[in-house]
Amino acid sequence: MMASIAHYLQNLPLILWLGSADHAYPFIQLTHFGGLSLWVSTCIILDIRLLGFGKDLLTPKKLLDTIFVWNWVGLLIAVTGGFTLFCIGAGGYVVNPAFQVKIYMLLPVALLTHIFVQWKTREWGQTEETPAIAKAFGGFELLMWMSVMTAAIWIPNF
Amino acid sequence: MAFSRWLEHLPWVVELTGNAVQISIVWLFHFLGYFLVVGTTTIVDLRILGLAGKGQNLDKLAKQLFPWTWLGLLFVTVSGFLMFAGYAGQFFPAGVFWVKIGVFVVAIIFGVIVQRNVPRWSSMASIPSSAKAIALISIILWFGMILASVEVPAFIACI
Repeated sequence: MMASIAHYLQNLPLILWLGSADHAYPFIQLTHFGGLSLWVSTCIILDIRLLGFGKDLLTPKKLLDTIFVWNWVGLLIAVTGGFTLFCIGAGGYVVNPAFQVKIYMLLPVALLTHIFVQWKTREWGQTEETPAIAKAFGGFELLMWMSVMTAAIWIPNF
Repeated sequence: MAFSRWLEHLPWVVELTGNAVQISIVWLFHFLGYFLVVGTTTIVDLRILGLAGKGQNLDKLAKQLFPWTWLGLLFVTVSGFLMFAGYAGQFFPAGVFWVKIGVFVVAIIFGVIVQRNVPRWSSMASIPSSAKAIALISIILWFGMILASVEVPAFIACI
């Protein structure tokens, strides 16, 4: 089933054009990596703050309020670019073990953890000092995003 | 070219480049560094432009983020050099690689200008237009650097 979906996506006229156009591919990569820069960095700086670094400046809640919109804008941009990159090489990606680990296992866990962390930060992050549970979840989310990135880096090795 | 050949053939460079696990760790730090540098500077730039955290004090936000910008820069530079060392002979003649390095250096200069001026801009009643222009150029430079970066592998056969 995944193979037939991949075949369908890969042969859409727009995707065929994007895959063959001289200068389209780098701009799609720019979209993906530009979005990831916003997404990953804003996730990580919140996790680091929850872990207790930079506590004499902004409370985690204030930091979250500042980055919240751009955090999700970053994800939207990254997913737009990422899905287009996936479509261009879909046939190869769906059978790639590193891609499968990234998309089916690590990414959902990281994303759900992130949503939970953002939701609870409004409660945990009202004071300079964060509770132990906030530190634990901040550390776990940080670990999850590092794992997602590691899986992504391994994709070309298969 | 003699330097690049010497660099490529250093025993530890050969060992690192040929070991999939070790080079993956280098790549991980390279991406992590990029995301930290580009993401944190962009958030501060967006705040200067009035497009992020308008109710938040600019100076406090910058002080919260800039240490991670510099840590990211350290990651990018060290890991980038390690990646460069393994294929120096291919990187040297690749024009797009030097475009990337050039844009990277200019982007850092703009980052430093922003960092040095943030306390002054933050104390003003409203952020001056010149500051907003610098912030906008800074964002364009960082995203231009990503564009140059994604073009580099097309010229380096082994990555």
